[in-house]
Amino acid sequence: MKIVVCVKQVPATTAEKRYTADLRLDRAAAESVINPLDEYAIEQALRLQEAGAVETVAYLSMGPESAAEALRRALAMGGEEAYQVTDDALAGADQWATARVLAAALDKLAPDVALMGMSSDDARGSLVPGAVAAIRGLPLLSYGAELQLTGSTARIRRLTASGFDILEAPLPVVASVTDQVGEPRYASLKGIMAARRKTLETWSLADLGLSSEDLHGAALTRVVEARPPEAKAPTERVENLGPAEAATRIADWLTARKLI
Amino acid sequence: MSHRTTREHDELRAIVRELATERIAPRAAEIDAGSEFPWDLKELLAGQDLLGTCFEERHGGTALDNVAQAILVEEIARADATTSLIPIVQKLGALPILIAGSDEQKARYFPRLASGEWLIAFALTEAGAGSDVAAMRMRARRDGDDYLLTGSKRFITHGSIAKVLTVFALTDPEAGGRKGMSAFIVETDTPGFSAPRLEHKMGIRGSPTAELNFDDVRVPAANRLGDEGDGFKIAMATLDRSRLSVAAQAIGIAQGALDFAVGYAAERRQFGERVADMQGIQFMLADMASQTEAARQLTYAAAASVDVADPDLAYWTSCAKLVAGDTAMRVTTDAVQVLGGYGYVSEYPVERMMRDAKITQLYEGTQQIQRMIVARQLLKRAGVSRDTKSQRGTPSA
Amino acid sequence: MSNDICFLAEFDGGTPARSALELAAGAADLARESGGAAVGLAYGSGAAAGAASLGAAGASRVVVLSDADGPAIALAAAAAATLRDDAPLAFLAPATPNGRDLAAALMGLLGLPALGPVRAVRIEGGRVRAEQSTLQGTVITVSESAADAPQPVIILALSGTFTPLEGGSGKAAVTTAPPTDAGALGAARIVESHPADAAVANLEEATVIIAGGRGVGSAAGFEPLHELAAVLGGAVGASRAAADAGWVPYQLQIGQTGKVVKPALYVGCGISGAIQHRVGMQTAENVVAINKDPDAPIGEFADLFVVGDLFAIVPELTAEIRRRKGMTD
Repeated sequence: MKIVVCVKQVPATTAEKRYTADLRLDRAAAESVINPLDEYAIEQALRLQEAGAVETVAYLSMGPESAAEALRRALAMGGEEAYQVTDDALAGADQWATARVLAAALDKLAPDVALMGMSSDDARGSLVPGAVAAIRGLPLLSYGAELQLTGSTARIRRLTASGFDILEAPLPVVASVTDQVGEPRYASLKGIMAARRKTLETWSLADLGLSSEDLHGAALTRVVEARPPEAKAPTERVENLGPAEAATRIADWLTARKLI
Repeated sequence: MSHRTTREHDELRAIVRELATERIAPRAAEIDAGSEFPWDLKELLAGQDLLGTCFEERHGGTALDNVAQAILVEEIARADATTSLIPIVQKLGALPILIAGSDEQKARYFPRLASGEWLIAFALTEAGAGSDVAAMRMRARRDGDDYLLTGSKRFITHGSIAKVLTVFALTDPEAGGRKGMSAFIVETDTPGFSAPRLEHKMGIRGSPTAELNFDDVRVPAANRLGDEGDGFKIAMATLDRSRLSVAAQAIGIAQGALDFAVGYAAERRQFGERVADMQGIQFMLADMASQTEAARQLTYAAAASVDVADPDLAYWTSCAKLVAGDTAMRVTTDAVQVLGGYGYVSEYPVERMMRDAKITQLYEGTQQIQRMIVARQLLKRAGVSRDTKSQRGTPSA
Repeated sequence: MSNDICFLAEFDGGTPARSALELAAGAADLARESGGAAVGLAYGSGAAAGAASLGAAGASRVVVLSDADGPAIALAAAAAATLRDDAPLAFLAPATPNGRDLAAALMGLLGLPALGPVRAVRIEGGRVRAEQSTLQGTVITVSESAADAPQPVIILALSGTFTPLEGGSGKAAVTTAPPTDAGALGAARIVESHPADAAVANLEEATVIIAGGRGVGSAAGFEPLHELAAVLGGAVGASRAAADAGWVPYQLQIGQTGKVVKPALYVGCGISGAIQHRVGMQTAENVVAINKDPDAPIGEFADLFVVGDLFAIVPELTAEIRRRKGMTD
């Protein structure tokens, strides 16, 4: 049984973000980390491996060369192999192009489970898992609070509006998990050192049998404007009031805005 | 001498910083307030293989170079000085074995020290033998295949919680401290050993500093490090190297205080402007930063000198500890100043950092001892021999 | 190719979901601009019976994809066939798990451009443009499909992006999509369903949300929040910390990995306002925060920030609002 976890390098929450003149996110300018929600997918895969349900955990990432760091970080947490798709033609790739490329790479790796985080920290479209499943013609088990593998099937527990469902599909599948699978582990020092010796293979688009034309120049969408959010009215602060006075102030505020 | 950190060093720093920020920093205030050893954080560090960095891989360690070990200590101390003592003392206690231990002794003790299963402490100082190590009184009498250790030690960091100690005692009192001292590995569950009292300290309050009593503690001769009479040499070689950890700890404390002060100054508004926009504050922050950076670079240079077993390494490590300790004290004091009244109260961490910083000017050789070591090396290089009449023992711990 | 605006309409027991009503209204608005029709793609239990009622919500036509509950992605092939025939200008899907999965599958199957999750959609010079907040709310981007990309453009809309029509009438023309084999893509099925013991409020539909965080301290600590929510006719939500602690069910979690809400009033009690929570509520129209910590990040973006003990202030506020309502009712 083999799981390939797809990881994306994203700008750290604390990092300063900017868009380049051509309105692409300048990924070189920002401090980058593994997409935090992908860490849950890694944790889920490693837990399944520790439980004996999986032999091999591999990682797949698409991004600039510097994103290999995210793969190294993932390997430091555990797992055996890592694959990076990097190509100048992929700069500015949108979700569709990303899904196309990951699907082609996954065809090559042919895992039993292609596992992803529920969304990426920077864009939050959550479209890649479903699109990869559609392109590869595989079942999708999305938004799992837990992934279980039993023989030839995969199951997830998924929250519903008022409880939870169990969804099941025959392997191979594409799956995504939420932050409820359990807190991701920290990489241990031995893990970090071992990661330096693990396989990290790099593929170009040509290695996947794809061309820039196949990908519509990497995007079917384009950003026409990027700007900071509207300036917000300054916060009105209320300090050093007794509870009754504070409550009156809030009630006055709500009344003035016709919220009561 | 100059030093650049490698990609591996940067990666280590990033990973330890994440761990320290998320897991250690939030515990620092309560560790200080409760004066309790953070067993949970000892487990955390052990689980991440961070207590075995000075041991070889065949003993379960990760054999990091000294710059990497300094970075590790620095990043933990940036969050909490007490917790940084866990790897510091693990190395300090093990250094006598690393320096003088036999393969058999290493194989017997290192795996469980590297994994963090056992803690070790370094028992050298006595009530009457602090900086003047040679004034030691503790005895080790030969008794068949064993030695019987009798006497007491004071100010022993982790002495009350360690499973193993490296203990220094006189095997030949006639020969004096310098020639008649030997070093032993002692397991603390041996009858006759006790840790009757802990100190109440200004800082590093979560780290127990113990008084230790030895009442005919029986130690097999197989646990002696090196030959009889090697003790003083082993102790000095240990301190020449372990000082590096204190320098790294001091830099970490300084960096923590600086980072907090910068964050505070950027948020706090007085007289209608950000405190950080006031030139008086900017100058303070700039001084704090440049001094910390200078101490860091010096410490890395000293670490590199230990890596290559530079014959002058004592000079480098003493310079580093001297500068780093004074920097930590100055930077944390200035951080309190930047925060004003808020800096003086325990709601913010800088007063704790200031209290913690003080120890780095005291232990493993006071700043005055460091100056003596540096001066001795200077004079030696200049070919100036020592005035034997004024000699009052070799400066040491 | 047409100028129609299609939208996904989820049904439950013959009733359209709130998202269906919002998207119908949005589609109707955009279709008026583009000179096309608002066309619903309906699925879920009772979709066939309820489809015509979407006429009152703004739809001219409705295609029923399925009349039963189940993962929406299984309908991707049927939806793809419909979109391929009509090739509308845009396809609006709700940014819910089902909506996203179906939208994603359509993007993959048909090679369509996709935007979102968006917070506003408009037509400018014949092109559909969508506005989204990215990078944890630090950047607002406006996007459109590339010049020669196929249509429709898929748009994932956050709840609250559009406002349902009020007092609408009329019936939509209803057709049924021919059965289409979903293949492996439709192979995931629900094998067990575990409803919760108690009903859980639907936060996405609430106009007032009283949210509690770590500062609430316990499940019992949420009681005063429920009382305040009751007098304001609102629902109770929570931060991830409170859900992780087990004080409230995860269904009440607001934020990056929970619900994204857009109420008229949001009151955060004992919530620090970490970025992960903020992205779930930053479009609330009015934000009030009550927190003991004067430095809590929520103080940076709340409209009204009250520094104090929520357990002292919230009951007083509930009583005060009750008094005022008594006077004005």
